[in-house]
Amino acid sequence: METITKTSLKDKLIGQYELTKPSFVGDAAIREMAINAFVKQGLPGRKHEEYKYLNFELILKGDYSFSHSHSLAAQQIQSLYLLKDAYVAVFVNGQFNSNLSKLNDLPKGLIICSLPEAFEKHKTIVEQHYAKHADVNADNFIALNTALASDGCFVHVSKGAIIEKPIHLLYISSATENLILNSRNLVVVEENAQVKIVESFEVKDLTSKVVTNASSEIVVMPNAIVDHYKVQNESEQSILINTTQVYQEKQSVFSTVNFTLNGGVVRNNLNIVLGGEYIESHLNGLYLTKNNQQVDNHTLVDHRMPNCNSNELYKGIIDDKSVATFNGKIYVRKDAQKTNAFQSNKNILLSDDGTINTKPQLEIYADDVKCSHGTSTGKLDEDQVFYLRARGLSETSAKKLLMHAFASEVVSTVKIDELRDYLEAEISARFE
Amino acid sequence: MGNEILEEHINSDYKYGFVTDIEADNAPKGLNEDIIRFISKKKNEPEWMLEYRLKAFAYWKTLEEPNWAHVSYTKPNFQDIIYYSAPKPKKELKSLDEVDPELLKTFEKLGISLEEQKRLSGVESKIAVDAVIDSVSVKTTFKETLSEKGIIFCSFSEAVQEHPDLVKKYMGTVVPHTDNFYAALNAAVFSDGSFCYIPKGVRCPMELSTYFRINASGTGQFERTLLIADEGSYVSYLEGCTAPMRDENQLHAAVVEIVAHKNAEVKYSTVQNWYPGDKDGKGGIFNFVTKRGICLEDNSKISWTQVETGSAVTWKYPSVILKGDNSIGEFYSVAVTNNYQQADTGTKMMHLGKNTRSTIISKGISAGFSNNSYRGLVRIAKGASNARNFSQCDSLLMGDKCGAHTFPYIEIKDKSAIVEHEATTSKIGEDQIFYCNQRGIDTEKAIGLIVNGYCKEVLNQLPMEFAVEAQKLLAVSLEGSVG
Repeated sequence: METITKTSLKDKLIGQYELTKPSFVGDAAIREMAINAFVKQGLPGRKHEEYKYLNFELILKGDYSFSHSHSLAAQQIQSLYLLKDAYVAVFVNGQFNSNLSKLNDLPKGLIICSLPEAFEKHKTIVEQHYAKHADVNADNFIALNTALASDGCFVHVSKGAIIEKPIHLLYISSATENLILNSRNLVVVEENAQVKIVESFEVKDLTSKVVTNASSEIVVMPNAIVDHYKVQNESEQSILINTTQVYQEKQSVFSTVNFTLNGGVVRNNLNIVLGGEYIESHLNGLYLTKNNQQVDNHTLVDHRMPNCNSNELYKGIIDDKSVATFNGKIYVRKDAQKTNAFQSNKNILLSDDGTINTKPQLEIYADDVKCSHGTSTGKLDEDQVFYLRARGLSETSAKKLLMHAFASEVVSTVKIDELRDYLEAEISARFE
Repeated sequence: MGNEILEEHINSDYKYGFVTDIEADNAPKGLNEDIIRFISKKKNEPEWMLEYRLKAFAYWKTLEEPNWAHVSYTKPNFQDIIYYSAPKPKKELKSLDEVDPELLKTFEKLGISLEEQKRLSGVESKIAVDAVIDSVSVKTTFKETLSEKGIIFCSFSEAVQEHPDLVKKYMGTVVPHTDNFYAALNAAVFSDGSFCYIPKGVRCPMELSTYFRINASGTGQFERTLLIADEGSYVSYLEGCTAPMRDENQLHAAVVEIVAHKNAEVKYSTVQNWYPGDKDGKGGIFNFVTKRGICLEDNSKISWTQVETGSAVTWKYPSVILKGDNSIGEFYSVAVTNNYQQADTGTKMMHLGKNTRSTIISKGISAGFSNNSYRGLVRIAKGASNARNFSQCDSLLMGDKCGAHTFPYIEIKDKSAIVEHEATTSKIGEDQIFYCNQRGIDTEKAIGLIVNGYCKEVLNQLPMEFAVEAQKLLAVSLEGSVG
């Protein structure tokens, strides 16, 4: 009798864990817990409520390698350094690359290094926060990432330090074979510190299917201010699962803007825990989809303490056969009185074959709160098009102008001029 | 001060808790093929009906009880339920005098006596009551008036006997037995319900109404309602219910199907005030209902209005499939939860035809330790051009131990669709109460006033007779729940 044994991707991932186990740095117990959680959860399929519109069992089908090799040189990636004047940490296929990075003259109070290095040199701080906020039992990909991540970035801003120049974390995928990459970041911003961080996901000379499972934990201590930006501009072959777990302490301000410009499948899990009083959180997002792309934004704002504000705005323009999903959840716990939480999702559907799924959720257990959410979906307003055409604009330029205006509500929240100009140029190019 | 009033209310007993002693003809406890054959035989059903039941039962056995809703409760033991209980058959009744006096007393206590209804019949507002006690329809009034117009309004089992073609044609077309766990169970064991057929071009001259009542102890009630509005007809259907006090949980898994043909309009209103359990969350009705209507042909309209104040656990999503072009679906809901009540309710609007429109207005009010969720789906299928949806779901919280949740699902596959969803959560403002106090309205009344104002959009949709009842119900349900 002949038997055919086929290893499933799940088994393969678990096998990879066993294989690389000896070379891991950091806390083995955490990894062990994470792999156990992953064994239990597996990859999310269609039945998984949180992954209802993205069947990862199907999307991830294929054979993958875990290699990190590449042949990129600095001159090839000049255009990917979005900001002229910034501290840049470059990761190629998930591995920190010091040759491509620009981390020479870091100011006082700022540490940027690779995660293995951090585990060596800054053990106490790292161990205090690493994997403490992203719960391995809460999400399949957090579990997988915690179990397998071998590299990533550690950013530490010490007490009272105000970092003027932005920090740019640049992730580049460059491969000729199918890859699964797990990278992991930890950002700790201490009391009264201020920092701006830009994360961008790019590809260079990519000819294969690359799955990036990137997780970041961002800890914002009391009175700290963090501006966080994400630019996702990969190729249609790439799959990006991007988890951002934020923990905020009292009176801190965290703002994040997420731009999805290109990518085959993009899944963003943004979870913010408001763990103190008088916190402000701003979540904004813009996604422009075309062809067969699938973009799925999940956000969770967890109001645990009283007197906090959160404000969320996600906008999307959907074209061709692409699918865009927004699932925003606001969770207001019993003690979180005097919470103000607002959420809005607006979409424009340009094509007959596109799909928009939106699910703005409120779960509220406190009574003295003001929470609202709204969502609207439609085509471009014909009255507005008419108004512009009556003033001599052609139909296409009128529509372009309106889409630009629609997008600019999100783009205008970017506080780094250089980045905003870049995004505006990218978006304009899209509407050409 | 708020606490005193709250406590007073919490300690008040369920007003409608009493048991009528009518000799019931019970089936043995449990669920198996024999029980289903027993029910079918008892009701003298034709073979095709039994087959349908068995088919549904076979399918049900393959299913697992769903647990995605935002509620938690002890799952009913399906083998510990009596699936059939009927008052002993009496001779055909012609006047109210012949109705069991016990039964009449029950209705009197509920304040909806048949006598009053009959007296009303001489006046303008006419309500035909198909009184349902336990699972069998006992008395149908106004049948003659209705039959003059060609309207069929009778119990479901009667319809199976007398109008098998219609039942066979429509039953299970809107809610198939494969739809969900409870729909499958209902299809297998349904005891009785109402059947209504409005012929072509007829505007039903009166509001049709069914009063449900769960009676004998340990009886599950599995109602099945089928409502068909033929071309160009109009009907307004009311459904209201109260149930006696019980310690053990009772299961109610009803199915309502509505079919609207070309140019037809159906308005379905519900006031639900089943026993919600006592202040510790003990007892109360499990209300797991599948309600769905289909706008089968062009220009049809289905409108759901519900006021939900009772039941320990409610699971209910009255839906509309907008298949015909230019069809309209509406959903107006007020859901009140107090003490340990849990409600997960909302609607589904499936836009398939062109130029279809739907409106969703949902008002949730939670007090005590209760949880109140809105869960809704708006789906615009590809090709459903110019579909339009507007949804608004507001929640009002009273007290800091309750929860209000919104889970709207919106799926759009057509670019010409315009879909809007809005939701807010808030509490009654102290300034609002202060304003009323200042004008000599005490806090209790002020809350009633504010809540009624908050729900006005929905209450306005109810027929007159119900609107009054509903307003009272809201006031009673929320007495003193000052946050």
